Amino acid sequence: MDINYVPTICPYCGCGCGIHLVVKDSIIIGVEPWKEHPVNEGANCPKGKNAFHYLYGDGRLTKPLIKENGTFKEASWEKALGLIVEKLKKTDSNSVGFINSGRITNEDLYVIQKFARCVMKTNNLDNASRFCHSTTVPALVSTVGSGVMSTSELSVERADCIFLAGSNIKENYPLLARRVLRAREKGAKVIVMDPRRTLTTRTLADIHLQLNPGTDTALVNAMMKTILDEGLEDREFIEKRTSGFEELKNYLASLDMNDLEGITGVSADSIKEAARIYAKAETGCILYNAGIAQHFAGVENIRALADLAMLTGNYGRPGTGVNPLRGHINGEGFGDMGPVPVFYPGFKPVNEESAKLFEDYWGVEGLPSTPGKTYMDMVEKCSVLYVDGANPMVSAPDTNSVRKMLEDKELLVVQDIFMTDTAELADIVLPAASWVEKDGTVTEVDRRVQRIGKVIDPPGEAKPDWKVICELADLTGMGEKFNFNSPEEIFEEIRKTVPQYAGITYERLKKAGGIQWPCPKEDHPGTDTMFMEKFATPDGLGHFQVVEYKQPAEIPDKEYPYVFSNGRLIFHYHSGTMTRRTERLKSEINKAIVEINDEDAREKGIKAGDAIILKSRRGEIEAIARPTDNIVKGVVFMPWHFSESSPNVLTGPSAGPPSKMPEFKFCAVKMEVKG
Amino acid sequence: MKGDMYLTRSSDDAIFERSEYGGAVTALLKFALESKMVDAVLAVKARDGNRYDGIPVLITDPEAVIETAGSLHCVSPNITRSLKEYLNGAFDMKIAVVCKPCDARGIIELVKRTQINMDNLILIGLNCTGTLPSATAKQMFHEEFEVDPADVVREDLEEGKLTITLKDGTEKQKDLDDLEQKGYGRRENCRRCDINIPTMADIACGKWGTDGKKATFIEVCSERGADSIDKAIEAGYIKVEKPDSGAIESRKKRDEEEVLLAKKWQERDFASLKEMSTEEKFHYWFGQFSRCIKCYGCRDACPICYCKDCILEADRGIVAPGEIPPDIMFPMIRSVHVMDSCVNCGQCQDACPMDLPLARLIFMLNRELADIFKNEPGMDVNAPIPLKSVTDEELAVTGVELQF
Repeated sequence: MDINYVPTICPYCGCGCGIHLVVKDSIIIGVEPWKEHPVNEGANCPKGKNAFHYLYGDGRLTKPLIKENGTFKEASWEKALGLIVEKLKKTDSNSVGFINSGRITNEDLYVIQKFARCVMKTNNLDNASRFCHSTTVPALVSTVGSGVMSTSELSVERADCIFLAGSNIKENYPLLARRVLRAREKGAKVIVMDPRRTLTTRTLADIHLQLNPGTDTALVNAMMKTILDEGLEDREFIEKRTSGFEELKNYLASLDMNDLEGITGVSADSIKEAARIYAKAETGCILYNAGIAQHFAGVENIRALADLAMLTGNYGRPGTGVNPLRGHINGEGFGDMGPVPVFYPGFKPVNEESAKLFEDYWGVEGLPSTPGKTYMDMVEKCSVLYVDGANPMVSAPDTNSVRKMLEDKELLVVQDIFMTDTAELADIVLPAASWVEKDGTVTEVDRRVQRIGKVIDPPGEAKPDWKVICELADLTGMGEKFNFNSPEEIFEEIRKTVPQYAGITYERLKKAGGIQWPCPKEDHPGTDTMFMEKFATPDGLGHFQVVEYKQPAEIPDKEYPYVFSNGRLIFHYHSGTMTRRTERLKSEINKAIVEINDEDAREKGIKAGDAIILKSRRGEIEAIARPTDNIVKGVVFMPWHFSESSPNVLTGPSAGPPSKMPEFKFCAVKMEVKG
Repeated sequence: MKGDMYLTRSSDDAIFERSEYGGAVTALLKFALESKMVDAVLAVKARDGNRYDGIPVLITDPEAVIETAGSLHCVSPNITRSLKEYLNGAFDMKIAVVCKPCDARGIIELVKRTQINMDNLILIGLNCTGTLPSATAKQMFHEEFEVDPADVVREDLEEGKLTITLKDGTEKQKDLDDLEQKGYGRRENCRRCDINIPTMADIACGKWGTDGKKATFIEVCSERGADSIDKAIEAGYIKVEKPDSGAIESRKKRDEEEVLLAKKWQERDFASLKEMSTEEKFHYWFGQFSRCIKCYGCRDACPICYCKDCILEADRGIVAPGEIPPDIMFPMIRSVHVMDSCVNCGQCQDACPMDLPLARLIFMLNRELADIFKNEPGMDVNAPIPLKSVTDEELAVTGVELQF
């Protein structure tokens, strides 16, 4: 009998908590605290405590599947990959698209983008970060030069004012919420900006700015106006470290507080109180997430937050900054590795110069130098789609349209661990290894690169994602560029092409808590806090941006009178592929509910437990009513974990370039009791 | 026999050299395996030599025992849970378990509940005045001692001081109380723990009473312990001599001093909670528990919690599923079910993601019950579980007035 306690990282969210897996005779039988890990110090949330069960869930994909006459037939890897290569050879670079994932390792992603660029000469690469932080990147790049979490998770507890903007961290990043709790114990004030009285609001907020959905820019502008009116700005910081202040000042002076009060639905007094607390704080920390980013005006919202932080000198010190929270275990890594249409690895923008650079690195020719298609454009326009670890049938907006478009593909390949809704529509399904079934690295919210070691073998014939791509490359004749014998070899190449990772090695990653990039040299300890001396802009200064409030895309009207919003619950994770195969989590909740304002419910004769039909211009779904006073009149909210009642059947409109962010948090619906 | 005391050392020079004191524990474990007295040894090892990642290990190879020699103060793995949950409570194999007082006491409570098979165990107890929380200890070494935690090769807690030895041989020392006032130092439950010598185990081993000698002081605490020692001496694994009365006295005195300090911490930990009015208590504790996110970490970690079909599970219908925070009955039921037997191991509080003072509450309640029932949990497998046992005297009670 062999019992082993193996340290690893929880497979779920971007916190990157450590756990010990208890392995007995090559089977994982338990999760125990890994008390040394600096992020969570031995504690975990309900998902982390049940981390491994999904690996043994019913329906793990174990063999390649090829669809013949509408049903899947098992096939050999040789046959499946052979068919894919045959089709790829006949497909031009514009017509193929690679949708990848924040669930897979840095090594997997690096190899995918290398394949797309070297073999298919395309930049048609994208992933679900399009759906959460595609607004963060242009917004923060234009202000501070880089779209990453600028402080570290640990330092959040040093703040004396924490501004949670559009983030239900108590449910979605519980071990980060613990840091906020600790800060609060030491006297910090917490401001929560959210249209709902979420669990976070109820348990962590000192001030709740319960604004009308989608009016965040107006509210933050109002805060900044207050700060300037009352002389609370940090003049020294503005002078030394920023540019564009005059323009912002003049714009804010032109705004009328009464108007802003009207738009946001929050009293001027509350706005001013929050503004004063944040401005007067020694260490002000803004944590924001989907509630801010997943809007038509997401870029504006985030620019406003960056302005607010720069205005008050809250950047460049531990516990400050404007901090996006990426959701996936490898949420940061899947930006760093460049599997996106506008960046090569290491955030080098797609252009002639970068193409040349990588031609030299990789020893190839003809790399694509114009930006590729984004996620939904690929779903719409690419006739050949390779989806790895992504589930557009649940995560993408306007599901009914997505279904039609996917059904229309000349070739749809889906590589995953279970038969997801998307995999059901595929022509070829490839079984992938998951999490501790392979070696690799992942990068968490605070740029924390951590190592995940292989603990068990993948089931059946499932393979690590990187291996599948390398084998494909081999079949196309480019095998020598994909001559990797191990993930560590891939990582060595990543170190050479992603400067932020240059000083990180697998050996160094044995340390609990990994290494936070930038880490330029092997003796560099990694970077806790960014922007300490200067910002990542070309001139090193923070650039104030004037941002005007603009309305969400689909405003309610007589026919569709309610605002529909959606989000997450603590017990489940994203499209439910993993958590809905975990008994403990399923027994907490396994059906879609819809939060409806008590008064709205009364008006429509809706009682708790009633089956409700929700309809938008794009489709309809059913959910169980949960009347509550935690949501305001005119707004309804659903979790998006339950694919049979998927909010994305209702959602639709997206912002234009540069973000192309779907407005998940706001669209118009009507509802009635199911007849 | 029970009560005997020895100053011991390993007869094997390699073990003796490698050990911090006499190497007797290592020698005894090796003996237990080689003589087939046990099938395996359950001990704590620094994983890959990392002094901050202590994991339970099941050793069957006698040559591997030496890798667990030496004390690790910056780890606190849940040995009791490991034995109960992953080793089938020693029902399938004979195991020698290296245990601190809290580990041994947790095991004894589980034996009472038929979850662990005492017949298959030899409990090798280790004296303990506390361990440090792993992640915070590293921070403490950085900030207070100004050393790289990776350079620490030994820690010692003695007479109110924390002394560390570095790779290059240098030593650094700080006042433990100073550190603990700053939020560093030992785990909260360790500070207030007043059971330092594991007399509830089969033997109790430690450094008190060695007074500068490179030896291990062993007190025999049971007949099984006596038997193991006798056999080990006979087989030539350990050498023993009788400690003089001065040594025995100094050991007793050290223990008494630490017990006094522990009791002071108990007072400190519980004072503000006990002073609250009933209304304040409701407000405080309901407020604390409103932070709970239903991770079940406390329930999983607790040695006293053993039900395979726990009443708090979402599908049992007692606590409404899917609610955060869970209904107040969740922490209430847990407290009531375990408080008569809490051994102050602190694993629940270590596991809580919302920093709830769980061990503080449940152990505080336990102290009241221990006083009422005159029962110290985890000391004697034959002592009844207070809230689950009915004595003849209690059965004979009539009327409504009860006198304790």
